[in-house]
Amino acid sequence: MPTVDIAPDELRDLTGHDEKSDDELIEDLFALGLEYEGETEDGEFELEFAPDRLDRLSVEGVARSLRYQYGDARGVYVPKTNSPDWTITVDESVPDERPYVTGAVVRDVNLDEDALDSLIQLQEKLHATMGRKRAKGAIGIHDMTMLKGSPATEGNPSVRYTGVEPDEDRFVPLDSDAELTPGEVLEEHATGEKYADLVRGNDRYPAIYDDLGLFSFPPVINGRRTEVSTDSRDLFVELTGTDQWTIDKMCVIICYALSARGGTVEEVTVEYPDGRSDGRDLVRPTLETKTKTVSHDRVETILGIDFDPEEVVDLAERAGLDAETGENEDGDLVYEMTIPPYRVDVLHPMDVIDDLGRAYGFNELEPRYPDVGTVGGRHERTRLEDAARTQLVGLGFEDLLNFHMINEAENFSRMGLASDDDAFGAGDPTTIKEPYSEDYTMLRTWVLPSLVMVLENNTHRAYPQDLAEIGFAARVDSENEENTETGVDESRHVAAALASHDAAYEDAKARLQAIVRNFGGELETPATEHPTFIDGRTAAVVIDGEEVGVIGEVHPKVLVEHDLEVPVAAFEFDLEALA
Amino acid sequence: MQLPHAQAAVLQTASADEAQPVDALARATDLPVETVTGAVFELEEQGLVAVTERVEESIELTEEGAAYAADDLPEVTLYRAALAAGADDDPVSMGQVIGSSGLEGPQVDIALSNYARKGYGAIDSGEITADPDADPDSDSEATALETLAAEGDGDAADATDVDDDTLDQLERRGLLERSESTVREATLTDEGVTALMEGVEESQTVGQVTPELLTSGEWEDVEFSEYNVEADAEQVEGGKVHILRQTANRVKDVLVGMGFQEMEGPHADADFWINDCLFMPQDHPARTHWDRFALEDPTHIDDLPTDLVERVERAHREGVGDDGEGYHSPWDEDFARALALRGHTTSLSARYLSGTEIGELEPPQRYFSVEKVYRNDTLDPTHLLEFFQIEGWVMADDLSVRDLMGTFEEFYAQFGITDIEFKPHYNPYTEPSFELFGTHPTTGELVEIGNSGLFREEMLEPLGVECDVMAWGLALERLLMLMYGFEDIRDIHGTLCDLELLRETEVTY
Repeated sequence: MPTVDIAPDELRDLTGHDEKSDDELIEDLFALGLEYEGETEDGEFELEFAPDRLDRLSVEGVARSLRYQYGDARGVYVPKTNSPDWTITVDESVPDERPYVTGAVVRDVNLDEDALDSLIQLQEKLHATMGRKRAKGAIGIHDMTMLKGSPATEGNPSVRYTGVEPDEDRFVPLDSDAELTPGEVLEEHATGEKYADLVRGNDRYPAIYDDLGLFSFPPVINGRRTEVSTDSRDLFVELTGTDQWTIDKMCVIICYALSARGGTVEEVTVEYPDGRSDGRDLVRPTLETKTKTVSHDRVETILGIDFDPEEVVDLAERAGLDAETGENEDGDLVYEMTIPPYRVDVLHPMDVIDDLGRAYGFNELEPRYPDVGTVGGRHERTRLEDAARTQLVGLGFEDLLNFHMINEAENFSRMGLASDDDAFGAGDPTTIKEPYSEDYTMLRTWVLPSLVMVLENNTHRAYPQDLAEIGFAARVDSENEENTETGVDESRHVAAALASHDAAYEDAKARLQAIVRNFGGELETPATEHPTFIDGRTAAVVIDGEEVGVIGEVHPKVLVEHDLEVPVAAFEFDLEALA
Repeated sequence: MQLPHAQAAVLQTASADEAQPVDALARATDLPVETVTGAVFELEEQGLVAVTERVEESIELTEEGAAYAADDLPEVTLYRAALAAGADDDPVSMGQVIGSSGLEGPQVDIALSNYARKGYGAIDSGEITADPDADPDSDSEATALETLAAEGDGDAADATDVDDDTLDQLERRGLLERSESTVREATLTDEGVTALMEGVEESQTVGQVTPELLTSGEWEDVEFSEYNVEADAEQVEGGKVHILRQTANRVKDVLVGMGFQEMEGPHADADFWINDCLFMPQDHPARTHWDRFALEDPTHIDDLPTDLVERVERAHREGVGDDGEGYHSPWDEDFARALALRGHTTSLSARYLSGTEIGELEPPQRYFSVEKVYRNDTLDPTHLLEFFQIEGWVMADDLSVRDLMGTFEEFYAQFGITDIEFKPHYNPYTEPSFELFGTHPTTGELVEIGNSGLFREEMLEPLGVECDVMAWGLALERLLMLMYGFEDIRDIHGTLCDLELLRETEVTY
C-alpha cells in the first residue's frame, strides 16, 4: 500500500486545531481511512492511503478532509480563479506519444520549507498514482519570475509546448551544472536515466520553451533556471501527458493544495493547433463541479436504514458535497449532489452513497443477517476429489498439498522425462512469461514430480513415507484436442508414491486396485514403458477401458537424482476416470 | 512365587553382593539385552532388585592413533632421524632430516608442530637441532597410546594409569575418541533374596491367543502373560488429510450450511475475466506485469463473448447509468484476451454472474469457492506465490451494507472470530468497500481478515445482473494461521514441507 508523510504540526496549523494531540489526530485520520503506519525520521506521520482519494496525497488535502470531519467546513469549496494572462501554445511538432498539455498560474503562494516539501511530495505521489509513473501525466512547477514569455496573441505572454530532436538543443537540468541536450540527460543525469524509457525511441522529445529557451523537458526533468525555492511566490504549473482529463485533474489537485497555502489561482489558455483537441483553445484549470443524481430510496437500501431528507443533505455537506432535493420523472425523491472538482474518484451515484455512509459512520450500523433463502451445495468435481482423497487416506497415504508452479527440470528432466515423449506426464508446458524465480516457470504437467521432491526433502524423516496428492495439472492444448476455452487443458490427477526399504510394484498396484474398486471401476494394467519407471515393472493404468495413467517402480536414475536411498513405487492417473 | 521366564532367570542370576551390569546378565541368561532390561525394571518395581545407573566413559583409539601406537609418533620418528643425522651436535638442514625420516604429507606438519612442544629440540630458519637428553621411550603420549592399544577397547577405568592431561592432548590431536554411555547394574534386594530362598518358579503363561488355543478349549486353563500396557508402542503413521485441506473443507461446510453453492473454473484465464469484467482499468497498477503471472504459452484466449466484451468496454469508457463516468484509460480487446494465472477467484464470480457458466442466475443466489490464486509477490513466511482464496457472494434485491456485515459476523463466528470491525476502504470493483478486522481468538489482537463490498454497477450491468451483489475475499492461509497459530506457511504448503510436522499436526474439526 502506498503511504504519504504528513507533519502533525502542519495538520494542526492547517485545520486550526492546535489542541489536538498526536493520538487524537491518528484516531481522526483512521476514521478518514488513513491508517497510521509509523513515524518518519523527521517525526512526520507515515499514513497508508487507499488510492481513491488522490486529493489527500498531501497535508493540505488531508487537512481539508479533517475540517469536514470536524464540522469546521461544510459543502463544496471552489477557490476563485483570475482570468488568463499567460498562454501555452502547442506546436504541430509535439511528439504524438505525448500530445496533451495543461497548466495554471498560482500567485502569492506562501512557500516555507514545509510547504515546499509538501508540494514536492504531492507531485511525486500524483506521478506514482494518476500519472502512472509519469507515463500518463507529469507535472512541472516553475518560478514565474524566471520565465520570460513573448506575446503570442493580443500582447499576452506565452510559452510553447513543442518537440525537439534528442540533441537539437541544450539546457541546464535540475541538480546539474552542465548544459546538456535532452538526449544527454537520458544518458548522464540520474533522473534522466530513471525516466529515459518514457521517451527513448521517440523521434522527437517533448520540450517547453519560453523566450529564453528550453526550460522543461517533460516528463523527465525541469530546467534549473526556473527551479522553485522558498523564495518563490508566483508559480507556473505545466502538465503533459497522454490524456487531457487526467492531467487536468492532476492540475486541479495541485491548485487546491497551493490555494491552501494562500495562493491565488490564475487561469492559462492552452492553444492547440488545428486538428488537435478540436483545435479549440482550452482555459485551464477547470475548477468546475459536477453533479450526480442520487435516489433517496437507494441511499436507504444501501445503508439499510431510514433517513429524513434533511439528514441526507447534512451528511452530504459534512462529506464536502452540496445536495439539493428534487424529484425524478417518476416523482421519487432524489438529490442533486454537487461534487467538487478534486474528487477524481466519483464516477457513479454509488460513490456518493459511500461518502454519505462514511459521514454517518458505517460502524454505527447494526449488522443483520440477510433474510434471503438459498440452498447450498458442493460442486461435483470437488466432491469427487474429496471422496478419492478419503480413499487414499484410508489406505494410509499422507495427503499433500504442493505448488502448481514448478520448473522444466523438476517436471521433466529430473524425472527422466522429456516434454515430447509419448508418455503419461509429457506434454507442452504452460509457461509463465516473467516468473518470480527459476524455480517456478511453468504449471506442472503431472503431480508425481512434486511427490518425489517432497521425498527428496524429507530423507531425514522416518520411513515408510507413503505420500499422495490429488492435485492440479495442466498442459497446453495446442491442437485444441480437448476443446478447452482457454487453450490450457486443466485437470486433476490422483498421484501416490510409496517409499520404504521394500516398496515394490505390487504394493502400489494393491492400493490402486483398492481405489478403483471402491469407485466401481474396472482396472487393467497392461505392461508399458515409461522413462520415469523401470522397464518390465511399468504398466499403463487403464480404467473402464481407457488409458488414464501410469504405475510402476521408479527408475534408479530418478531415485539417485533425488538423493533417495530407498525404492519408490508410484502411480498417477486422471481423477475423472473415477467419476 | 511365580515369575515370567525372563524375570525368573534374571532373579536367579543376579547377586546380592555384586552389582551386575545388564549386558552381563544378558550373557549369563542367554536373553536379549532389551528383554533383560525390561525384566530388571519389572523386578525393581516389585522390589526384588535394586537398579543403579552410572555413566561410563569409554576411550577408543582412532585409526590414526592405532597406527601411531603400532609405529612411532611422527615427532618421535623425526627425532630419531635428527639424531641419526647428527643434529644433537650441530643444526642440520630440515629437508635432509625429513627426507631421511620417511615422513610424508600431513605427518610432516604433525611432526614439526609437536617436536618443539615436547622438547625434542628446536627448529629455526629451516634447520633442526635435537636435544640429546630427550628420551622418546618415556614420551608420555606414546606410552599412553601403547597402553590404550594393548587394552583394546579399554574402559576409562582401565586407563587410570594414563593421566588426564595426556588423554586431553591425545583427544585434541584426534588420536582417541571418548564417549559416554549409561550402564545399569542390578543387585538383589533383601526381598529378592527372600523370594529366591522361598523358591521362584517360571509361570506357565501364554503369550498369544492362537486358533489352536481357542478350538482346543485349552484357553480355559492357561494364564496370559502380562504386558506392560503402559509402555509406548511402535509409532504408526496413518494417513491424514492435509491440514490446509481440512481447513478448506471446514470453510466449505460452513458456507454450504449458510446456503452457498460452490463455483469452479479455470486457473489460467483471460485478463478479461480476471480484471476487465471487474471494472479494473487496463492501466491500473495492479495489472502491470510485476504483480501478475502472465502466460508465455499460450498467450491469448481465442474467444470471448462478443456482446459482453462490447458492454464491458462501454462501461470502462463511458461508465454506467444516466450520469455515470468511465475511466480515462485505454481499453483494448487484445489486452483483455491475454492469459494469466488468476490473481483472485473473483474471475469465477465474474464468469458465474455473466451467465456463461451455468446460465442466467435469478436472485436470490449465494455462491462461493475455496480455490487457489496466484500472486507475483515476495515469498516470505506468510506469503506464498500460490494460496487459497475464500471467495463468496450473495445476489439479491436491495442488499445493504448491514446485510454484508451480518453475513460476515455469522461466518467468522463459526471460526471463533468475533467483534468484527469494518474499515471503509477502496477497491476498484466494489463500493462501498470494507476491510474486515477481527479479534484473534487467543492473542486478542486486531487483525485484518478480509476484504468485502458491494459489486459496482459498472461491473454488474455489463454482466447482465440487475440486482445487488455483495462479495468478499479472504486468504484461507490467513484464517488457518489465525486459528491454529502456524508461523511459517512454507512448512506445510509446497515441496519444502516437513513430513514430521504434517504427521504431528493436530486434526481440526
